Amino acid sequence: MATTQETKPDLVTLTIDGKSARVPKGTLVIEAARQVGVMVPHFCYHPKLTPDANCRMCLVEIEKMPRLQTSCSTPVAEGMVVKSAKSDQVEAARKSVLDFILANHPLDCPVCDQGGRCDLQDFSHEYTATKSQFQELKRVFQKEYFSPLIETQMNRCVQCLRCVRYCDQVMDVKALAPVGRGTLTEIKAFGTHELDCEFCGGCVQICPVGAITSRMSMYEFRPWMLKRADSICGYCGDGCQITYQTKNNSLIEVSSTHGSGRNNGDLCARGYFGYHVSEHPERIQTPLIRQGETFQPAIWEEALEQVGQTLLAIKQQHGPDAIAGLITGRCTNEDLYVFQKFMRGVVGTNQIDSSVRYGHLNGVRALQRVQGTHRWTVSFDDIVEADVLLLVGTNVTETNPITGLKIKEAVKRKGAKLITIEALQPAVGTISNIVNLAHHHFGVRADGFQGAVLALMKSVLETRGMAEDVKASATAYGNDLMAQLSGLAWSRLENRTGYSLSDYGHAASTFCQGKKVVILVGQDVLRASGGYGMTMNLLDLLLLTGKLSNPGCGVAPLAEENNDQGAFEMGAVSDVLPGGFSIDHAESRTAVSKHWGRSIPDSSGGALPQFLERMQSGAIKALLVVGENPLGSLPPVSGIEQALEGLQLLVCQELFMTETARKAHVVLPVCSSAEKEGTFTNTEGHVQAVRKAVEPVGDGRPDWEIFSALSIIMGDSMEYGDVKEIGKEIRNVLPGIRPLGPTPIPSKPDAMVVCGYVGGEYRRDLDSRYRLIDEQPDFSDELLVSLRQSLFHSGKFSLKADGLLKVESEGKLYVHPDEAARRNIGEGDQVDLCNDRGTIRAKVGLRERIPMGMAVFPEHFDQEMRGLLSYAVDPETQVPYYKLAQARIVKV
Amino acid sequence: MIFEQLQNEVTAILARYPVKRSALLPLLNLAQAREGYVSEPAMREIAKLLDLTPPQVFETVTFYTMFNLKPIGTFHLQICKSLMCALVGSDDLVAWIKNQLDIGPGQTTSDNMFTLSVVECLGSCGTGPMMQVNDDYYEQLTEEKLKRIFDDLRRDGTCSLKSGPFMYPESAAK
Repeated sequence: MATTQETKPDLVTLTIDGKSARVPKGTLVIEAARQVGVMVPHFCYHPKLTPDANCRMCLVEIEKMPRLQTSCSTPVAEGMVVKSAKSDQVEAARKSVLDFILANHPLDCPVCDQGGRCDLQDFSHEYTATKSQFQELKRVFQKEYFSPLIETQMNRCVQCLRCVRYCDQVMDVKALAPVGRGTLTEIKAFGTHELDCEFCGGCVQICPVGAITSRMSMYEFRPWMLKRADSICGYCGDGCQITYQTKNNSLIEVSSTHGSGRNNGDLCARGYFGYHVSEHPERIQTPLIRQGETFQPAIWEEALEQVGQTLLAIKQQHGPDAIAGLITGRCTNEDLYVFQKFMRGVVGTNQIDSSVRYGHLNGVRALQRVQGTHRWTVSFDDIVEADVLLLVGTNVTETNPITGLKIKEAVKRKGAKLITIEALQPAVGTISNIVNLAHHHFGVRADGFQGAVLALMKSVLETRGMAEDVKASATAYGNDLMAQLSGLAWSRLENRTGYSLSDYGHAASTFCQGKKVVILVGQDVLRASGGYGMTMNLLDLLLLTGKLSNPGCGVAPLAEENNDQGAFEMGAVSDVLPGGFSIDHAESRTAVSKHWGRSIPDSSGGALPQFLERMQSGAIKALLVVGENPLGSLPPVSGIEQALEGLQLLVCQELFMTETARKAHVVLPVCSSAEKEGTFTNTEGHVQAVRKAVEPVGDGRPDWEIFSALSIIMGDSMEYGDVKEIGKEIRNVLPGIRPLGPTPIPSKPDAMVVCGYVGGEYRRDLDSRYRLIDEQPDFSDELLVSLRQSLFHSGKFSLKADGLLKVESEGKLYVHPDEAARRNIGEGDQVDLCNDRGTIRAKVGLRERIPMGMAVFPEHFDQEMRGLLSYAVDPETQVPYYKLAQARIVKV
Repeated sequence: MIFEQLQNEVTAILARYPVKRSALLPLLNLAQAREGYVSEPAMREIAKLLDLTPPQVFETVTFYTMFNLKPIGTFHLQICKSLMCALVGSDDLVAWIKNQLDIGPGQTTSDNMFTLSVVECLGSCGTGPMMQVNDDYYEQLTEEKLKRIFDDLRRDGTCSLKSGPFMYPESAAK
């Protein structure tokens, strides 16, 4: 954003079919034509890919050039005169290209899923290539099983190689191979093996004909039968625009159009194949009320009455602080807003928390403290335009795949320099690995990121020193930080991280050369001990190098759940008001309570870890759980099970019977994001519209409706007609929540806050942030097990998605092949993992990207694994940390 | 691990190119020279050596006709089927071999001795019909000559009728 164009790009004027076009130098003729409304037919060209000019369909006549030219590979020139639709020669050429393609293409359009949206059909219709010069038999390929999710029908292939190039250039996966040559080329994986890749669905979307299609919707529809609804994906924080395509109120397909949304039409496996969750047969259909050990179906009135009256009784008997609420960041902004308003305004307690607490809060809090924003100061566009990218503790291609694509584009296309501090090692595999693209990689263990961050900082400041204006205006801050860094001996840092002074020196000089520097902070930092401190350190790094306030620079913590950012902004955190202000901020308190006509409770509320304590001590008697599953995500050592047992009332608003819902007294069915309206705020702070694609399953209701109904029962009515009304209220309370636009305008650091920070606020925890975390005792025989997100799942939610389960249906303990060989373990072997908390059994998988001494387990399958985890709570942000375990591994 | 014993060759090949990927064809040649064909483990190993994915290696192998994806017999008979040789009867030779050895193009004899391929021009048009057996040329073939060649190959592993390859002047001078 805000890139000051130093030189105006040279414009070139040309004529296309009699229309005058003025486009920047270097534009391709085909793009220039599109801009003036001349559609040049093509198969192999795609704006996302480099021109290949292999299909010859886009031939145009250009005056003064001897032959017809491929418009997809010819750049414009001043005064060019192009003829496309108006040239007989071009028309004849295109007809003959079609003749060649149709010589082999089968006429199986009636059974082809692409029929009705097929480029070849459209062009055949346009150029009426009805007579063929070819009498030979058509080529027929042996039909082979391709993959569980993607189907190929190679007889239909026009060999444009878009899929192959997309897989390589955009996804960096390189799983598809054009096998053979000439007309006999077919798209395959490796040898006779089935496809093993990221399953992003990109090849399905980019195929101009029906050669590559989705198996999830095979033979189920004709395109013109489908109803479309543009919405936002409900899995990760990237906030991709997706189009739900439905037939008779059932989800048939998800797609994303090139040029739309923050993802620009690219999706990942979760987005493209994960949509079956909302139609899963196990969805809860009606409200359920506990009767002894079982649940009885109930009608809404009965269930709501019971919840409302019990809440009222508990409130009257024990006060409002005997009630607490927990909501997931998968809910819409409207749900989150009404939830916190209900808890604060109707129940009268600040005891609310949301999934932001699991990690994203660390990032947001640090941003707020240093620069006064709760959002990024950069956008996805800035990542693409950045010249230096620093990734810390993020396997971004798996956790936030579309952010990953932006990084890939920046590095592969735009020449950005990439520095990674990440546990994974460079190794080519079936799914992409961002550290393969790194110019400087620091492969430190998952518990050692802090050492590498501090070492890089030290190196940057020792080689280049502070920025002049920091030296001048914030002398004390600069000196204090320099003193802290000088206090860290190089020998210790080298020892701790395994990288030398000169390694850091090289990376530091790359870092310093960057004018537009974006630092991305991932879950493995935010969800691990010291995550808050490390994000602060990285912000210090930008401040000290004078980049923090520069446009295109910033620290960007990546959100895991689709609306973690929204949950914070809507105030679904105990000490945060809507708008992200602190609960102690008098001005906002007054403003919000004036809007509400209700007072906001004074008590601070506390966070999830405190709720657990209070539930155990009996101070909290009732818990509302909205879409969260604390029993399924927190480790037993946190005491969650005992905490839930003592409750008088546990209400779960859920889609499925989760571990927590099974303990509930009342379970209320809700709508999935495909069944309701609202907005999600993505990780870069862009508020985007969620639209209803199908009717709710069973009696499901949107979450906000439930709070609204409860408020009426509790005698303090908080009524809304529809989601738009809530949206309007949100915009009134938070003028900062802008209406939806095509691109977000990133926030700017608040100079006052930065001033206050460097003026002394930084001292509060300076020592603890710049002290190396105590070294873990190194047991050479033990493994550090890290629970991480897999590309194919998102929380426990996606475990109900048929498509995704076909790719990954069980959790494996991934280790490096050498690590396994050292212990005489092979792929698929059963092992016991044990530490002093317990023993669990797991199946081993081998992956070369896992470093020695470490093991990675997908967190979605962690039911048993959680028994081994260590648990700690951040003293500053109250984030519970439970993603790591140290364990011995024993072959069974 | 077929490259384990070929460390020196691999190092020498990799050292030749500034871009790792360029070493793909020489390494494939090396693998084929070693095993007679390019096996899947070999392709995986090459992919790893060059930071490529196995499909990228596979697509290259399938593009070139001279890489074999299946094991072949001890002697690889490659009969030229291009115009010049066809005019002087290369088809008859293929039919004769089918008759004698019971193998068609792409097939291998049951004793794993001979694999037959028909290939494009081998540049020996003046002396057709001709074939290449492993690295040697046999020219101006007749059915009698073929019979003698096969008998010799079976018995001695070599045959005195070989005349090439002519592409290397130094070996022609031998």
